[in-house]
Formats: sequence, structure tokens, C-alpha cells
Amino acid sequence: MSAGDAAVMADKDATETPAVTEAASILKDENCEPVEKPENKCQPAVSTRKRPETRPSSDLEASELPAQQETASKDASQTGWGYWGSWGKSLLSSASATVATVGQGISNVIEKAETSLGIPSPTEISAEVKQAAGETSASENGSLLVSGPFGMLSTISTAVQSTGKSVISGGLDALEFIGKKTMDVIAEGDPGFKRTKGLMIRNSTLSQVLREAKDKEEQWPSNEVTMETDKKTHYGLLFDEFQGLSHLEALEMLSRESEIKVKSILSSLSGEELQTTRLELEQLKEAFSLAEFCEEEEEERQGDEDFTKEITELIAQLHVSSRPEKLARARNTAYEWIRTSLAKPVAEKEEGEKQLEAENTEEAQKHSIEDIHAFAIRSLAELTACSIELFHKTAALVLHGQKQEVTALERSQTLSQMTVMLCKDLASLSKEFTTCLTTAGVKEKADVLNPLITAVFLEASNSASYIQDAFQLLLPVLQISLIENKTESPDVSHQPRDL
Amino acid sequence: MEAIWIYQFRLIVIGDSTVGKSCLLHRFTQGRFPGLRSPACDPTVGVDFFSRLLEIEPGKRIKLQLWDTAGQERFRSITRSYYRNSVGGFLVFDITNRRSFEHVKDWLEEAKMHVQPFQIVFLLVGHKCDLASQRQVSREEAEKLSKDCGMKYIETSAKDATNVEESFTILARDIYELIKKGDICIQDGWEGVKSGFVPNTVHSSEEAVKPRKQCFC
Repeated sequence: MSAGDAAVMADKDATETPAVTEAASILKDENCEPVEKPENKCQPAVSTRKRPETRPSSDLEASELPAQQETASKDASQTGWGYWGSWGKSLLSSASATVATVGQGISNVIEKAETSLGIPSPTEISAEVKQAAGETSASENGSLLVSGPFGMLSTISTAVQSTGKSVISGGLDALEFIGKKTMDVIAEGDPGFKRTKGLMIRNSTLSQVLREAKDKEEQWPSNEVTMETDKKTHYGLLFDEFQGLSHLEALEMLSRESEIKVKSILSSLSGEELQTTRLELEQLKEAFSLAEFCEEEEEERQGDEDFTKEITELIAQLHVSSRPEKLARARNTAYEWIRTSLAKPVAEKEEGEKQLEAENTEEAQKHSIEDIHAFAIRSLAELTACSIELFHKTAALVLHGQKQEVTALERSQTLSQMTVMLCKDLASLSKEFTTCLTTAGVKEKADVLNPLITAVFLEASNSASYIQDAFQLLLPVLQISLIENKTESPDVSHQPRDL
Repeated sequence: MEAIWIYQFRLIVIGDSTVGKSCLLHRFTQGRFPGLRSPACDPTVGVDFFSRLLEIEPGKRIKLQLWDTAGQERFRSITRSYYRNSVGGFLVFDITNRRSFEHVKDWLEEAKMHVQPFQIVFLLVGHKCDLASQRQVSREEAEKLSKDCGMKYIETSAKDATNVEESFTILARDIYELIKKGDICIQDGWEGVKSGFVPNTVHSSEEAVKPRKQCFC
């Protein structure tokens, strides 16, 4: 069995295979000593792809629609939170697109690495992993499990898989190499790695898990962190700095309270009234199952004005007074930075190679790959925090804003569009950042450049999943607003009862 | 080894609409008074967030996580759910707005009702003290009220930065003392106080925000 198969298999088994096995199988497959036995049998990889908390909605339905709920959870790997999968795909296509457009993508790097460095032998890999594991065990009570600050194991494996696939499709059997690099990235960059366990605890909310992960990151003594993975590039810390965690927590509170209200109202209804209400809630829920991204259409990234215009229009459709300026500004700043970073080399492309090289050197001095990486992670954290803030504010206004001539269903559909738009934009942003990285890192060795590229895709993919999580938290909020709009005459202003 | 921060306190800021809660926090966390057209001057929707490190004793830093609540009545039910996880609070009124002072007791009552089983250490803040000519609440009566309710009282101005640092320092120190005495404990499932870490270096971005010394007027 080739390493490629291992990755595919791991993918298939994702629902049952412990996360550690998934990562370790890459190594084991080459007859390496497994670094450590996967001790954490209670950690199905799939859990990290889901929100750590039971979906409020499914919770709600658990009592009323048991059959439906079961179907939903069965489908989870394809839809809902398995939606992730499609992100994996879109990452894959982004990666290939980068290769195609820049010509300095991952496979090129690998090729370079293969010829110049040689792909490390399995023994080397295992030795290094062992070493990493040793270091880690010392500080982490012997737990080998290397996970991201946000319990990224499955993310990592997704990244490994997609990177692996693109590499293989490029005719290079270098999965071990990527695997090793990924392990390095995890080991170096994500010290707070016991967090995966936190993610498995169903009772903890996403914001709790993220907060703990962030705390772990803070705790990590910076002298043990290498330059590339300096605290400046720690997504969790940055996400908190932009108040993403707090907005998420506040949104969770609103979501939870709404959920309780919906339940209690439903339990007070009966007969036809109950039936129609359920039906309407069901329609609402459908609006929350995000359609797959249209993957075939290669999305042109939107211009800054287009983005600002579209997000503003979407918010106008919501009829809430949320303001997208902060998000739009952060987003446009990121693209502006990329533009200036890329401007010169692109302009000089027709010129002689020497000049191009000179330009690149100059650019490299201007923005080193470490700079680009740091800025990319920072931008992703900021945009995600802004997006979640927007959702939080929207929830507050849906619950307590003025009555509006817009239905909960219409709002849900708009929010769904907004989520897709935000995630797509993150994907194209991460693509742009990796383009920057490959351009600036044209002379860098693969083992320097690769982890940075992987990290950017990884955090972009995480960002998208946080945004989708936040979006799902809006469902109970819209459900209660639907019920309240139904049950009350529009004139009577509703004073929400305490909980 | 020096600590980044020994504790994290979650503090809530409450008070009537337009008394200047957000501006106070802006001044404290960003070091400036937001311009009139700044989005910071829009009424707060639900809650907003700020954070900053504060050195309460040499080498002893506290991370303040600040929950800036909406003063508007329509968001009141949201605000209520935030009391429980706060260890301290700024109860802000506007010295040029008599009604905002009269509502102080209501705010306090509401907080007490919703904070159970925990406690909140409150500081009464008479804001906009730069507008002395328009004063509608005397320092004496504010001090009397604060005494009756077991709070300290301070007058601040976000506009000219009067007592802004001080008010946060006073509240943080009081809470810190209560922790030292064991009156306040860190508890699982409670966000009010979290213990900090003792790493080797300080998070750069947080160090950038150094507490400034400010003069009393």
C-alpha cells in the first residue's frame, strides 16, 4: 500500500479512526516504528470537524423528530459539518491553481526539494518525529498527540490529503515528505496540543475550546518557539486580540438562550399550531444547510469595491443596522497589502531574468516570507473575528432590533449567502497569500517555504469553519424571531423574559 | 520569571445609554477619545469587547477583559446574562445627566438579581467630569450614594483622560485584594477570574499597550 492509499484510507475511515492513527498511518505505512500507540481511542477524527457542541437545532429536534435527526447525523460527513470536506476540496483546487498560475506551487517546491534536498527517508522522518515527540512528551505529560491549537488534527490531515493528492497527481510520490513537513508544522507551531481532547468534550462550546487553546498558546514559552512560529503568527492569540473569541462567546449565549425559548414555546403549542410552526422551523433550518460551494466555477476574486458592495447589500437585505465597514476595511487592507507585495515582480516579468531576480531580492527584503506568513495569519484571524462580530451583532439586532418587513426565512437565506461569500473570500485570500509566499520564496528551500504555505491554507480552512460554526449559531436566533413574529401582533413590542 | 499577567478579570461596564461607556473604554484601551463621527460613537449593539493589560503593582499585571454593554433598554435582556460571569463592574452615569444618576440604583438592583450566586465588585463612575459647568449631580451626593451601596466613587472624563487609568486601577486592585484574602476564588465554569501564566517573555502586542501614568486633576 502506498502512502497515497493511506491518506485515502484515512479519509474514508475518518469517522472511526482515531485522529492519531490517521496522522501516524502515514509513517507506519513505510514500515517505520509507530512513534507511539494511538492511546486516545476516544477521539474520533470526525469530531474535530464538527462543532464541539451538539447542534442547538438538532438538540431541539431530538425530542420531536428523532428520525430526522438520525438522518442528519448520518449525512454529517457529506453535508452539514462534513461540509468541511468540500473545503478540503476547495483547498486542493486552490493549491493546484496556485501551482498553475505562479508556477512555484507546492509540487514545484517538492520537485525542488526532491532534487536538491532529497526526500527524507522514512527513518529520518521517524527519528525527527520521535525527537519532536520526545520534546513534547516532556512538556505534555507523555501525550504524543500533536494537534493544532484548535484541535486541528483533522484539519491537518485534510491538508495532508489534499496536498498529497495534488502532489501525486503531479506525478510525485512525496506524501511522506509533506507528512513530515506537516508534522513539523504541528510540532513547532502548535504547542497547545492537548486541545483536541477539549474538542471531544461535547459539552464545551466552541468559544471555550478556542479560549483554552488560545490560553495554551499564551502559556507556551516563546523561547521554545522558533522564529517562524513566533507568537505573532499564532492564530489563536490574534483571533482573541481581535476579540473574535468574545464575540463568539456572546453569540453563543444569544444562541443558547434563543434555543431554550424555542423549546419552551414549542412545548406549549399543540395541534395544528404546533404542526405549522414546526414546518416553518424546518424551512428555516433548510436555509441553514449551506449549499455546496460551486467548485467547478473558478472564482475570480472580487475587487475591493465589489466585495464592499456585496456585503453591504446583503446586510441591507437583512434589515439590521449592522455595519460591515470594519470587515470590509480589514479585508481590503489585506488585499492592498498583497497587491503592493506582488506589484513589482509581476510588472517586471517580461524583463530579463536577472532583473527579475534583482527585483525579487528587493521584494524579499521588503516582505520576507516570514513577514508574508505573519501578515497572512493575522489577516485571517482579523477577518474571521470581524465576520463573527458581524454575526453576533446581527443576532443581537434580530432579537432586539426594530420590527422589520423581512421574514426570518429571508434573513436566513441572506445570512447563508453571506457565509458562503465570506468563506469564498477567505479561500481566495489565502490563495493570494500563498502566491505571495511562492513568489517571495522563489529562492527558499522547500522545508522553509512549505510549512508556511501549509499553515496559511490550514488557518484559512479553520477560519472558514469558525465562520460556518458562527452561522449555525444564528439558527435558534432566527427561529425565535420567526415564532415571535408569528405569535405577536406587530405593534406590541415584545419584552423578552428572563431566563 | 516574570508573568505576562497573573490574573484575568472580566469586568462589565453598565449604565444608561449615552453616558459615555464606550468612550471611556476607548480611552482606556486605545489611548484616545473617539471623534464624533467615529463608529465608536454609535450606540452599542448588545455588547462590545475590549481588553488591556494593567500593571497594578510593579511586575504584577492583570489582563482586563472588558464587556462594554449597550445602555439602550431594548438590549437590557442581553446585558442581564453577562453579569454572572463578571467579577467587577463599572457603573457609569453622566454627571451632566441627572436621570442617569437616578438610575444607578436600578442598575445595581438588576445586577444583584442576575449575578447570583456570584458577586460583582462595583465602582461608581461619574463620567464627563470635563463638563463641569453642566453638572447636575454633585460630587457629594454621588459619594453618599456610593457609600450607601458599598462602592467607591470616582469622577472621570474620557475626553481629557481624567482618572481613566485610575478608575481601572482602583477596581482591579480591589478585586486583587479580595482574591488575596480569599473572598474571591477562581472557579470552574466561571469566567470572572482566570489565573494567568508565567512564561518567559511578554506577548509583544500586549506589551505595546503600556499603562500610562496620568495626573490627577
